[in-house]
Amino acid sequence: MTDFIDPVRERAELLTRRHLLQTGGLGLGAMALQALLARDGAAAPTPRANPLAAKAAMIAPRAKHVIYLHMAGSPSQLELFDYKPELQKLHLQSAPQSFLEGKRFAFIKGVPKICAGQFAFARHGQSGQYISELLPHFARICDQACVIRTVHTDQFNHAPAQLFLQTGTPRLGNPSLGAWVTYGLGSFNENLPGFVVLLSGGKTPDGGKSLWGSGFLPSVYQGVQCRTAGDPVLYLGDPAGIDRTLRRKMLDTLAELNQSEYQRSGDAETLTRISQYELAYRMQTSVPEVMDISREPQHVLDLYGARPGFVSQAEGADDPRVLYKGDDPTFANNCLLARRLVENGVRFVQLYDWGWDHHGSSPGESIDETLPIKCQQIDRAIAGLITDLDQRGLLSQTLIVWGGEFGRTPMMQNNVRDEFKKGFVGRDHHPFAYSMWLAGGGIKGGLAYGQTDEFGYYPVENPVSIRQLQATVLHVMGLDPERFHFTYQGLDQRLIGPTDEGQVLQGILA
Amino acid sequence: MAWGTRGPGSGWGLAQQPTLSVSLVCAARYPEEIMNRLPLVSCLFLLSGAAALEAAEPVSYARDILPILSANCYACHGPDDHDRQAELRLDDEQAVRQRKGSGFPIVPGKPDESLVIARITSADPDLVMPPRSSRRQLTPEQKELLRRWVAEGAKWQRHWSFEPIQQPAGTLDDQVRGALSAKGLALQKRAEPTVLVRRLFLDLIGLPPTPEAADVLVRDPSPAAYERLVDELLARPQFGEHWARMWLDLARFADTKGYEKDLGRTMGPYRDWVIQALNDDMPLDQFTLEQLAGDLLPQPSEQQLIATAFHRNTMCNDEGGTDDEEFRIAAVKDRVDTTIQVWMGLTMGCAKCHSHKYDPISLVDYYRFYAIFNQTEDADRYDDAPRLEVLTAAEREQRAKLQASVTRLEEALRAAEMAESAQNSATDAPWRADEIVTAESRGGATLKVTTAKAIAAEGKSEPEDTYTLVLAPGNRRLTALRLEALPAKLADGQFGVGRNPGDPNFVVSELRVEVQAGENWKPVKLVAPRADFSQSGWPVDAAIDGQTKTGWAVSPRSRERHVAIFDFAEPLDLTAESRLRVTLVQEYGNRLTLGQFRLSTSTAEPATLSPTAVSPEVRRSLDELAAAKQQLNTFQANLNLLPILRELPADKKRVTRVHKRGNFLDPGEVVEPGLPQGFGPLPANEPLNRTAVARWLVNRDNPLTPRVWANRIWARLWGLGLVETEEDFGALGSPPSNPALLDWLAAAYRDQGWSLKKLVKVIVMSQAYQQASEISPALREADPRNQLASRGARYRLPAEVVRDQALAVSGLLSAKMGGPSVMPPQPAGLWRSTYNGKSWVDAEGEDRYRRGIYTYLKRTTPYPALTMFDAGSGEVCQIRRIRTNTPLQALVTLNDPAFLEAAAALAKRLQGIAGAEARARQGLRLALIRPSTPAEIGPLLRLQQSALREFESAPEQASALLKVSRAEPGATPPAEFASWIVTASAILNLDELLTRN
Repeated sequence: MTDFIDPVRERAELLTRRHLLQTGGLGLGAMALQALLARDGAAAPTPRANPLAAKAAMIAPRAKHVIYLHMAGSPSQLELFDYKPELQKLHLQSAPQSFLEGKRFAFIKGVPKICAGQFAFARHGQSGQYISELLPHFARICDQACVIRTVHTDQFNHAPAQLFLQTGTPRLGNPSLGAWVTYGLGSFNENLPGFVVLLSGGKTPDGGKSLWGSGFLPSVYQGVQCRTAGDPVLYLGDPAGIDRTLRRKMLDTLAELNQSEYQRSGDAETLTRISQYELAYRMQTSVPEVMDISREPQHVLDLYGARPGFVSQAEGADDPRVLYKGDDPTFANNCLLARRLVENGVRFVQLYDWGWDHHGSSPGESIDETLPIKCQQIDRAIAGLITDLDQRGLLSQTLIVWGGEFGRTPMMQNNVRDEFKKGFVGRDHHPFAYSMWLAGGGIKGGLAYGQTDEFGYYPVENPVSIRQLQATVLHVMGLDPERFHFTYQGLDQRLIGPTDEGQVLQGILA
Repeated sequence: MAWGTRGPGSGWGLAQQPTLSVSLVCAARYPEEIMNRLPLVSCLFLLSGAAALEAAEPVSYARDILPILSANCYACHGPDDHDRQAELRLDDEQAVRQRKGSGFPIVPGKPDESLVIARITSADPDLVMPPRSSRRQLTPEQKELLRRWVAEGAKWQRHWSFEPIQQPAGTLDDQVRGALSAKGLALQKRAEPTVLVRRLFLDLIGLPPTPEAADVLVRDPSPAAYERLVDELLARPQFGEHWARMWLDLARFADTKGYEKDLGRTMGPYRDWVIQALNDDMPLDQFTLEQLAGDLLPQPSEQQLIATAFHRNTMCNDEGGTDDEEFRIAAVKDRVDTTIQVWMGLTMGCAKCHSHKYDPISLVDYYRFYAIFNQTEDADRYDDAPRLEVLTAAEREQRAKLQASVTRLEEALRAAEMAESAQNSATDAPWRADEIVTAESRGGATLKVTTAKAIAAEGKSEPEDTYTLVLAPGNRRLTALRLEALPAKLADGQFGVGRNPGDPNFVVSELRVEVQAGENWKPVKLVAPRADFSQSGWPVDAAIDGQTKTGWAVSPRSRERHVAIFDFAEPLDLTAESRLRVTLVQEYGNRLTLGQFRLSTSTAEPATLSPTAVSPEVRRSLDELAAAKQQLNTFQANLNLLPILRELPADKKRVTRVHKRGNFLDPGEVVEPGLPQGFGPLPANEPLNRTAVARWLVNRDNPLTPRVWANRIWARLWGLGLVETEEDFGALGSPPSNPALLDWLAAAYRDQGWSLKKLVKVIVMSQAYQQASEISPALREADPRNQLASRGARYRLPAEVVRDQALAVSGLLSAKMGGPSVMPPQPAGLWRSTYNGKSWVDAEGEDRYRRGIYTYLKRTTPYPALTMFDAGSGEVCQIRRIRTNTPLQALVTLNDPAFLEAAAALAKRLQGIAGAEARARQGLRLALIRPSTPAEIGPLLRLQQSALREFESAPEQASALLKVSRAEPGATPPAEFASWIVTASAILNLDELLTRN
């Protein structure tokens, strides 16, 4: 435990390694150095030399990997997980004044009307949780997941709420959850990035790339966005006309010249550069391999509903609303990729799926018409991911988190003149109570945690703050959320902020 | 010993950023032999308080004690009175001398009587400090230091950076030598002239020299020749382009507004202002004043207003449904935090929620300072108002031309209308404008009857309105009603028929006519509506269709007279007493209501009545004028409008309250503007506004500003600051590695007119700067990170210089300065911001090869080839870039099209040289400047030869590479040219090229 990211020790070990390279390496030519760097084992760049090398946890870890499925825009908990028959009775009646007084909404004005849940619920699994008819596949495996119905946040606009959830502050400039975890624990495969981000839904989430940024942590911990079209990692592909053999020869020449440069200058940074060029070379092979889902057998593709090679129309479309209509398997492809990445040792995989902001201002952004399409795009894929991980023995090592940045109001958003109109049923942003679920490593499956009031407006039992959620993710991964920090701008900066609000949710841990 | 004074008690994270430098090359800071002999764990103890323990010198409060107290004790016993425990504060000399219960916290000279010492050394786990719950622990060495300090009299000092600057005697080199000799070191020999020239070029203008420029110093390496080169470089305009980057990082400069939509905004003129100011060597005090308060100067020049865009680089949130006030406040807080951090190296940010735990800045101090910045007009508006028109000479000329053409056409129209008026009287003959008895507006507008019996709506202007007019047409038999919409002068000085200057259209939703029948009004049926012109989709029939959602409107001809005629289904026989009531319902909203109009009636046969069409001459005139105005408007709309600061007028000043726990929705007490105490005299007899802040920041007695700036400039030249935490000169920052040198530089900067160029010159003229940069084992051992300047600095070049150098070496670099930011090629599909239609279009021609500082910076998607080399996103103030060394950087310089194109251009440059060996030698020379050795030529030639063989056996590979790198092989066979591209690419990836040495 005490050897966790200890800067002094890190430095001392590096020195040892440098010493080794200098005494044993000064007379070596480039070829020998290549061999030294390429070989596995003690003489290869030591784990400490690679800032992404796996590090010991601070406390006993319950999981090794995270797959975070963020539904950007925020799905309605009242149509998916939080069953509220009372809303049926009050459908289209004016909302009680207590809902509105002193509240700030993004778009609701005046006195809105209560909106009944638009889809049926039934009990599922041994746990008997209520799950919506929109999620038939999830319903099958719901005993693996712990649904929290009482998550609350203090942000009610997308970008700040996403930033708050992912970085611990609604403003820009702090490291993301994935960056924190990768900084704290490193990763398992030095030929792949430790923190990978995959996007679907055709748009970058509102909070932008800061959602997977490294903030004040070194930039090596920022999420690497892997793309399904073009190079999976920027600039990964050799230029047309340069094949692997030629690239190898070029790197050999570079290493030789850089090695003699090192002998002149004595600057160990040069050695690091040589090894980074070698790592880049290896990544050029390993990343496309792991990103190639066409290598999966058909029954696995079917399990997720994945379709290799699919290029979403969403790419490059101007009107965001057409993006998430219909049968787009990008999210399913990304779920399958997430499994492959985790299987290959990637520490943190973050998926963002855009298109869950159902205000009801048009049929393309409505609860009644768009939500079913979005659910269909994710439902089979998620159940497939959990089943697949389970079958491979990876589920117990992988924490899966699903949810949006806030919830949606029990009131209908009064768009055009208050009418209840097909294709225009919408709900505004709701920060006071919403549903997320966790599954996999360390999580008590089949648990429905927390209760909201009869309208689903406020938690009445076991409220869960964003900071608690963040603390729990760190805890499951073996990082003590209270002590895990980075000293910056004169403060011991923590993901969970300076207060003691971020308590681990012991109640959901297995 | 920045690190040594901080024990392991500081927690789990890493103590300070740069120690994390991913390459970890700077890591070696302690004698290798000692490290190797000791078990790792004991290294921790070795380091704690090493400075004081190793030497038998007295304990220094600032160096040894304050860091222990601030890291371990201040959280509960520091300046923050909110969280203070046991009413004990250890940051205040007076407080620790006062009795606490059974004794005194600290009794100078008597550690055994001091409660603090008793508590930190207590064996009782319930009594020991810091308490277990704090998860902090003092090492035995730290405890011993505290004990010795008390034993030696518990002498108190302020934190070192708050003490006045004391310039030591001697030269810069004397200060360096002083620190070196304490370690038994001396300055290294001077670097080779070629190395020195490259170093100077890269440091001063951010571009490499030509080999010929280096040869000048090779021929004459004298100090005088060296100084001539320094002066020449300082005078080049590229100096400003290079040094502006440092300032733009601090200024959080970007080309977009940030957050979800991240829309573009015009900030280029501000960037160009910074470059010019640096080239002019504007003194720091003026540089500060113009940027913080240019708008408050008497009769500010355009340039001074442009300077205030510094604090308009803050982000704006255009996401739907956001609270503008929330993000206005976020921007103001950002200005406060940035100002204090950039000038004084203090972190005020934490004081916005609670009093600073480590430095003397309270919550109230924060909001008093905030109150000064809380008085500008900007308010997170979509249009970024207030903004300043920034025109080039060409734009001024074009606008004058367009304006002249509008004036000319207006005169032509007037003439045409005069000619037409004669005919008008004929078409007007059958109409009589009736006597108006009453005229009422439901929306509260004043309906005034003009001399020509027209009605002008004035005063209140509601989005919707209904005008009701009662007419007295007299004893006549009426057949039709005519409504004329008449252009009137609007608030913006232009004419229009509607009341909204932004859209001077009107929509008559319904027109109703009633005739008085005793007490009642009887509707009159209207038929055959016709108008001279109707807007598409808004026909005149819609004005009498009984529906208010439809109506008659006239856009785009909303600046000219229009006529509509409605026939009565049956003629109306009226008496002298009869009254006609006309109701004009206008419910479109957006103030699309009639501004001036006239109602007339006729007794003529309806079939003979037609709405006057203007004559063809007038029509043409009208159309030409409309087109010219449209052109002018388009021109105007596309002008560069730079967001600037503007102070609110006195009667609109905001009241500032403390935000409890930083939450603006939870306001506390009202605070008046104020400046933190203890950093020089506060301005007397002048208002506490941004001007006062600017003057206070650079006042002679402020010890922080000169130190922070001198340190910053040193760091840009040496790769590492004397105070490594450039962003934090407070209690938790690192102490200076050479305090005498820091104060020498700070005083030199302040006392020689705050001149950046002079300070840079002093540094680069020093022997310390000119040392060779080779690292011997002895040097590495004694000064692992070169914090004592024991050799010339070596570090990987900054992102922009990596790019610019490749373009310069290959000959592609454009020398064009200033103007809008440009879009050099980047991988497709990166820009996918929500609700933002703007796209990245790869520049062609010169703009493809501009310096990195001109690259368009979109905050949510910064240019990847630059960010991979640690450039920032401009979202928040970036005090320094932490250097990394990653595989992704290798991918950029190997595969990015910009670098491929540079490789092809370099290959092209080499084609003029005869012989492969000479080519390789010249390639290395152009890149590295120093002469190369045969041992370096050999590997390059072998690479070129084997690439040539490959390309000859696979010509399609050669042509593919030529295409993707935009090569122009000329007469050279493709395979051979391609092999030289590969060779040039290898040269452009050399570690030595990427390194400044």
